[in-house]
Amino acid sequence: MKKRSIFLAALAAVMIAAGTVGSAWAYFTTYAEAQGGYPISLGDETRIEEEFSDWTKHIAITSAEDSEPAYIRVKAFSGSEYTLVYSDASGKWTPGEDGYYYYADIVEGGQTTEPLDVKIENIPEDAKDFNVIVIHESTPVQYDEDGKPYADWNIKLDSGEVEGGNQ
Amino acid sequence: MMRKVKEFIKSPKATAISFGLAMLLLLFSSVGGARAAVSYISEYYTTRVQMDNIGVTLMENGNEISSRDYKSSSDGTWDENTGKLLQGMLGDDKQVKLGKRYKEELCVKNSGTIDQYVRVNVYKYWLDKDGEKQRDLSPKLIGLNFVNLGSDWLIDEESSTTERTVLYYSKLLKSGDTSSLFADTLAIDSAIGTKVTQTTKKEGKYTTITTTFDYDGVQFCVEARVDAVQDHNAADAIWSAWGRKVQVNNGTLSLQ
Repeated sequence: MKKRSIFLAALAAVMIAAGTVGSAWAYFTTYAEAQGGYPISLGDETRIEEEFSDWTKHIAITSAEDSEPAYIRVKAFSGSEYTLVYSDASGKWTPGEDGYYYYADIVEGGQTTEPLDVKIENIPEDAKDFNVIVIHESTPVQYDEDGKPYADWNIKLDSGEVEGGNQ
Repeated sequence: MMRKVKEFIKSPKATAISFGLAMLLLLFSSVGGARAAVSYISEYYTTRVQMDNIGVTLMENGNEISSRDYKSSSDGTWDENTGKLLQGMLGDDKQVKLGKRYKEELCVKNSGTIDQYVRVNVYKYWLDKDGEKQRDLSPKLIGLNFVNLGSDWLIDEESSTTERTVLYYSKLLKSGDTSSLFADTLAIDSAIGTKVTQTTKKEGKYTTITTTFDYDGVQFCVEARVDAVQDHNAADAIWSAWGRKVQVNNGTLSLQ
């Protein structure tokens, strides 16, 4: 009889407790979500195009199709035996303090720069070969917080060099 | 006298009376629900249900992007709309410009009919060309600029990781109101250009050094999920729904 009383009392307690479960779980909640993104393109490939005539190298840099916009600079080395004189008809090549010539425009994929002429002077009369090395470098266009483009030459996309030549 | 009371308590009669009282209590506890069910179709009840609709909307640059609102018809269904973030971000740009700060103003609107507390989970990550998540690329380079921190929005440092940031709105968001911004701009760090692999190729007179960028072709992703919970018994509701201990004093939420 005593066991039955305890059982009934426990049953009643459980039933009352169970009656409150519903309200404990009845919290109102909801959610909303969204996502988005864009691909990043950084790849670039540039190639030097060079013609040689009258002891002058006519240098132009071509950016491969689908390449990202880039800035380009060029520098030539000849050692001490020759003198190199730079010139360009377009006025888009500007000398820097580091000896590089910087192209003013951003070069898009598939575009070619205006030519930069490098004339080799003080050539010995009997000279047939010479050794002048031309280096070009490109860097991806960077942007400041306002979207204004600039070049960071610590980040180089592509670089190359060509040497030698004969008249 | 005490002896009689003790004898009565021990008697089966007392047990039966106690059980009867318990049943009565149980019966009364269900009367409310039954009454509510009866008045479900009444005008009074309909009004009451409309007051209890919860809803939340994720806002981007003043536009509603995604929402989930309990329907006013109270038939257990929701008005749901899931949009996409960053759709108009580029403007006239053909592609993402590294380092440029793009406008990305994010906030939350209470589109329900009850006041609520909200939190936001923001995920930033990289996907490869096949859409697989790239865990070795750093989410830190996806610069979503969080604002109004400490005052309006609280970062849950315990739950946040490099990829996920959890923010709690400390204020009660009233029905129809919009929170302050939790982010205002997005910029991809130009430092991704420093993660490179170089190869050298010599062809005749030409030597070409090609730099391959580790991040070339990958896609950055930003994901935001807004959670909302009723203001009534908010601390218990948040603990129950989100598993986070919080304090709510005079309507202001703080993390424990």
